[in-house]
Amino acid sequence: MAVKFRDYYEVLGVPRAATADEIKRAYRQLARKHHPDLKPASEKAAAAERFKEINEAYEVLSDPDKRTKYDALGASYKGGMDYTPPPGSSWTAADTSTWNEADGFSDFFASLFGRAGRRGGRGGVRITIPGSDVEAELPVTVEELLRGGRRRLQLPNGRAVEVEVPPGARDGTILRLAAQGEPGLNGGPPGDLYLHVRVLPHPRLRVVGDDLEMGLPLWPWQAVLGGEVTIDTPDGPVTLKVPPGTQGGRRLRLRERGLPRPDRRRGDLHAVVRIVVPERPSAAEREAYETLKRVGGVAADRPAA
Amino acid sequence: MPAPVRLSVRGSLVRGPQRAEIYLSSEDMAAAVGLSPARLARLVQLGLIESTDAGGRRFTAAAAARLRRMLRLQRDLGVNLDSAAIIVDLVERLEELERELTRHRGR
Repeated sequence: MAVKFRDYYEVLGVPRAATADEIKRAYRQLARKHHPDLKPASEKAAAAERFKEINEAYEVLSDPDKRTKYDALGASYKGGMDYTPPPGSSWTAADTSTWNEADGFSDFFASLFGRAGRRGGRGGVRITIPGSDVEAELPVTVEELLRGGRRRLQLPNGRAVEVEVPPGARDGTILRLAAQGEPGLNGGPPGDLYLHVRVLPHPRLRVVGDDLEMGLPLWPWQAVLGGEVTIDTPDGPVTLKVPPGTQGGRRLRLRERGLPRPDRRRGDLHAVVRIVVPERPSAAEREAYETLKRVGGVAADRPAA
Repeated sequence: MPAPVRLSVRGSLVRGPQRAEIYLSSEDMAAAVGLSPARLARLVQLGLIESTDAGGRRFTAAAAARLRRMLRLQRDLGVNLDSAAIIVDLVERLEELERELTRHRGR
């Protein structure tokens, strides 16, 4: 079974005669350029792939034993050439993929130094490398913030997970799912999964901290005379007392009808009054407004600004 | 598409979706970042990582992600933790800007 030969010197950009210091310096420079932790989310995946190659090259060239073994292959191979492991090599898997995702090292690496995690492999390595953390966005609805809920989510690495949204989560909250990131290498611990909560826009509800806001449209006479109105809250219909003389923009507070908090209390729900005038008043309505106009015993032609 | 992995609650036999953590105790935080509790307490004292309370007993999951990142940078780039903290600050700002840009484009 042939695998592609990897030119580790080429990956690090150093000559075959490079000293240990030169190799370390080259690695550090490349790490600075390609380390996934230095990249914004959009470039992380590509950087992680590149960094894996760099790490593998450094893993071999920084270890005198491994470097000697690698150099013994001689200069007869060039990167990308088919490489057939000698008989008796620990590498036997009928696996033609370039990278073994389970351990993060290439098949070429495994053919030389043994598949990590395989105990007693000839010339096997016993290095443990922790799995990398995975970060992803978790879109949630306002209803899920209110009542909790399970969200299915496809991770950037293709895995699907089901997550329970904890009460107290908000837009921008980071959730940790321990040990649900990339698996570790050779007994190394797996990485964590970190989810960034993103609250999806809601047609009627706006999230403000622990509180929720919703619009409360009223007819002018309801605002003037006051009275009871029934509104649809996330908890179901609630009867609300509108005080006489309610102005547009006034906030009517419903205590503890907002988002759940970690202390088991809840934020408030605010109904924000918006006064709506009838666009096509009936003849009777029109007459009533004409009367209002006549009796509106205020001298000014409009309210003060 | 592969069947979703059902995540189990840590330390218990309950099956089903894992309840994600928002906060970690200092013991959980130390385990999460692979440091001894004493070393973690020292980093809090030095201001390299923040707890949500005054006593360094409660941490956000975001702080765990951040400290893990700092420790990786320390290991892979050979920088000290003070420098790693600055680097993580800058990268987090970059990520914030990128998110804002995406939101703007989405409009």
